[in-house]
Amino acid sequence: MVQKTSTRNPKVWFFAERTLIYALIAVFLFITLSPLIWVLSTSLKPNTEAISFPPKLLPESPTVENYLFVLTDPALARSLINSFIISIGSTALSVAVSSLAGYAFARFEFKGKNVIMSIILGLFMIPIVINIIPLYTMLANFGLLNSLLALMLTFQILIIPLNILLMKNYFETIPKELEEAALIDGCSRLGVLRRVTIPLSMPGFAIAAVLSFRFSWNEFILPVVLANRSDSMVFQVALYQFISLYRIDWGYLSAGITLSLIPVLVLMLTFQKQMIKGLTLGAIRE
Amino acid sequence: MKISKVICTSLVLTIVLVVSLAPGFTTPVVAQKQQVTLTAIVAEPKERWDILFNDALQKLREKHPDIDIQVDYRVLPYDATRTQILTAMVGRTPIDLISVDQIWLGEFAQGEFLTDLTERANTWGKEKDWYKTNWDGGKYNNKVYGIWAWTDVRAMWYWKDLLNQASLDPNSLKTWNGYITGAKQLNDALKGQGIQGMHLVGASHSPDMWYPYLWMLGGEILEQKSGHPTKGTYWFPAYNSTEGVRALEFIKEQINAGIKPQINHFWGQEFADKKFAVMLEGSWLLGTFPREQWANIDQRVGMLPMFSVPNENNMTATMMGGWILSIPETSKNKDLSWELLTLMVEPEVLTPMLQKEGYLPTQKPIGEGPYASQLNTTIPYYNEMISMISVGHSRPNVPEYPQIADNIKQAIDEIYFGAKEPKQALNEAALKSAKVLGW
Amino acid sequence: MPSIFEKAEPYLFLTPALAILLIFLIFPLFWNTYISLHDVSLTTILRGWEYIGGTNFINLFNDPNFYTSLKVTLMFVGGSVALQFGIGMLMSVLLHQQVRASGVLRAIFIIPWTISAVIAAFSFKFIFDYNFGILNYLLNEIGLQSVGWLSDPSIVIWSLVIANVWYGTPFTILFLTAGLLSINPTIYEAAVIDGATKIRSFIYITLPLLKPFIVINLILITMWSVNFFDIQLIMTGGGPLFASTTASLYMYRQAFEFGLLSKGASAGIVLIAINISIAFIYHKLFRR
Repeated sequence: MVQKTSTRNPKVWFFAERTLIYALIAVFLFITLSPLIWVLSTSLKPNTEAISFPPKLLPESPTVENYLFVLTDPALARSLINSFIISIGSTALSVAVSSLAGYAFARFEFKGKNVIMSIILGLFMIPIVINIIPLYTMLANFGLLNSLLALMLTFQILIIPLNILLMKNYFETIPKELEEAALIDGCSRLGVLRRVTIPLSMPGFAIAAVLSFRFSWNEFILPVVLANRSDSMVFQVALYQFISLYRIDWGYLSAGITLSLIPVLVLMLTFQKQMIKGLTLGAIRE
Repeated sequence: MKISKVICTSLVLTIVLVVSLAPGFTTPVVAQKQQVTLTAIVAEPKERWDILFNDALQKLREKHPDIDIQVDYRVLPYDATRTQILTAMVGRTPIDLISVDQIWLGEFAQGEFLTDLTERANTWGKEKDWYKTNWDGGKYNNKVYGIWAWTDVRAMWYWKDLLNQASLDPNSLKTWNGYITGAKQLNDALKGQGIQGMHLVGASHSPDMWYPYLWMLGGEILEQKSGHPTKGTYWFPAYNSTEGVRALEFIKEQINAGIKPQINHFWGQEFADKKFAVMLEGSWLLGTFPREQWANIDQRVGMLPMFSVPNENNMTATMMGGWILSIPETSKNKDLSWELLTLMVEPEVLTPMLQKEGYLPTQKPIGEGPYASQLNTTIPYYNEMISMISVGHSRPNVPEYPQIADNIKQAIDEIYFGAKEPKQALNEAALKSAKVLGW
Repeated sequence: MPSIFEKAEPYLFLTPALAILLIFLIFPLFWNTYISLHDVSLTTILRGWEYIGGTNFINLFNDPNFYTSLKVTLMFVGGSVALQFGIGMLMSVLLHQQVRASGVLRAIFIIPWTISAVIAAFSFKFIFDYNFGILNYLLNEIGLQSVGWLSDPSIVIWSLVIANVWYGTPFTILFLTAGLLSINPTIYEAAVIDGATKIRSFIYITLPLLKPFIVINLILITMWSVNFFDIQLIMTGGGPLFASTTASLYMYRQAFEFGLLSKGASAGIVLIAINISIAFIYHKLFRR
């Protein structure tokens, strides 16, 4: 026994510490969740009740009509599908492209390596908004406005630099020896990638994918300018239509908000373990 | 042989009959219908455009049975509409019709984004039907660039029961002094109920609510002046005149009387929710009340068709808003778009929309003529609002207006927060505006 | 001897990424730089671009509103980063203390970041509203006076910071949790045996091991806060009296509300320069 004090003390200390921890967590839980609970509760109220003041937490006559409206209205449903297509496509593209680039930085030595890396990281510093007009002009000239493919490509600028960094660091944690062993065994470079590197890189892909999806799914300013034809609209832009200058359809809006956070949330929950592992190894070297 | 011949012939005949009657086979003979899709970018809310485009398109199709006309219109929030039009013009994307806020007209016309409609308008010949201010509002440098489709005016609305509670006679609010006294009286009486007396706009468009006081004193926002470095004669800030200072001092009195500027503007919803007893708001305020209540809303809500005046002999003034319809320079279907435009503002098409949404007309046939009764009976206080059109002013059509408005807003904010005195604030703002205008 | 094909291999791997970045980021950057040296506004963009050299930049630095916006940016970014990092670190550490259901809790704490910025900004605009907002409602219920969250020039920027912190902290939590999970728990056991308290082991063991995570995290959240303008635009539009106009919002307004595209572009370039300096400063600070 090292302690000189009575045996009660460590126990009390332990409980005090535990209580403090849980108390703090509870406070932050409350702060984090209250706006969201409010949104959820509003989404279950019929539109007329939604704008009542003073605000009531529990809906008097809960209804799912708002969700039904958002999911069945053809324009909104279409925009939801568009968002999915663009986000999934953009994610696939981003992961593929960033992995290739990250692999190059991790495994090869070549002229200009540091310069290119610095430029790529430097591009991350550009505020997106100043690019709107030149991007629009460029896409307009190539007839690519309102094209889902063009949006997929444009969203890359939000994510590629970060993903390249993460993938590069992640690949660096995979021992070169594994790949070299496979090479010696007669595998081609591409084969090595397929059989050795990629299976081991799942966590890296996980974090790159989740980040790409999140940024693509939530983007508002780029789609509003580059693709606002009714059949190429994305969900976030479509939702904004409920916020008109003269009237806010709180019920529909909050139902839409709740729906919009499900995909990213589900992704993060499902791949939490891999994602965090990918992030861990992806950040270690600086 | 004979039977087979009969069968053969009848078979052939049947086939010929079927083939000739089947629609799929007759179309190659008739020319394919020409297909035209008109694109439009308009500002929300969406409902009004649904009505207008629907009805106008129907008529357009009747006039051109040989063309398959479609309209693809995008409804965007105010800011996004402006950004979208901007980028579309720069990117030279063909758009056929746009809704233009009157304050953008100068900019867009100067930037050569808009089609010069003067010729078409003259042929159309409806200028005499329009209220002069509204027709001029669509012009820049004496050329017609847009048609002001509908407008709105700002008036004073009040809750009758709340004024009763404070023992306040609504008519006393007509003068500046009465307004100030009324504000204090209301605040005192309603303090415990969480209701404020007067509403005061503190949002980014606060200048719009200040201009009427400037105008009613005879002041102007801008005036022509010679000696400009590059343009000879051009606009010069005039809002820092003695009239302007006096108008801004009235705002200061309001602040001193306890009226608080509101940062967020909910366009009448805050009045409908009885957070304020008196509110200067646009005619769209009625839209915040359900249509069923319109019939006897005048029993609960009163309206004074004016902004308070310094003394009883002064004529009042108000600001007119609304939307202008224009055709971008990049449109590839200008004639058809023009036709659609004229159909959209035709009284037959426009009046039902105005009726439903509570907007005011910019043309006499609807305002006073045969269609007036339709609106008169459904829109509360319609006649009073129409009467305000004659004292309605519009903002200048200059390309630099957004910056000038920002200068004025800064001056107003400085009064709101007691940072400067009206004279100094206006002079400094005018200095900035002069620079903006190139002096 | 490496064949040409083998030498070219790395560049081939890089090509897709570089191609996309070149077209979608570098071309716009050049475009912006080009117009920042000319007089391009809504009224002249289709008619003629006059070369004016550095005049845009001179005008920019002569504009008192720009200086105000730099000051406001300092407050906004400083407050946001400090709070996001502080709270983020606290939460990551707390959840790391063998808390039950930590996986679920982490997922819940990430939710704010899964919404789009525009939606979050809009929600807070209403939460902070003087008349309709829930905050003032609750204050009134317990007898306190309403606060002008968005209408008082002296506190408006902090209201925006609160919104930004609610929105952005999840990212820090994610990042630092990844860092914490990378630390081998056995290191702590050794320390405890040596008599170290929790706090001491945190300062001397955890923090140094977290350094790479902390650095990248700080750089990212700082730059994101500098470039962010959705919250300011939607919640206050920059007022009152420019008290909530950050440099990013200033840039947006110049370009899109006033149609002064080249002035906006020059402000944008200044912002990029600020970002680069920040990255540089962090680099120097943590290079040990």
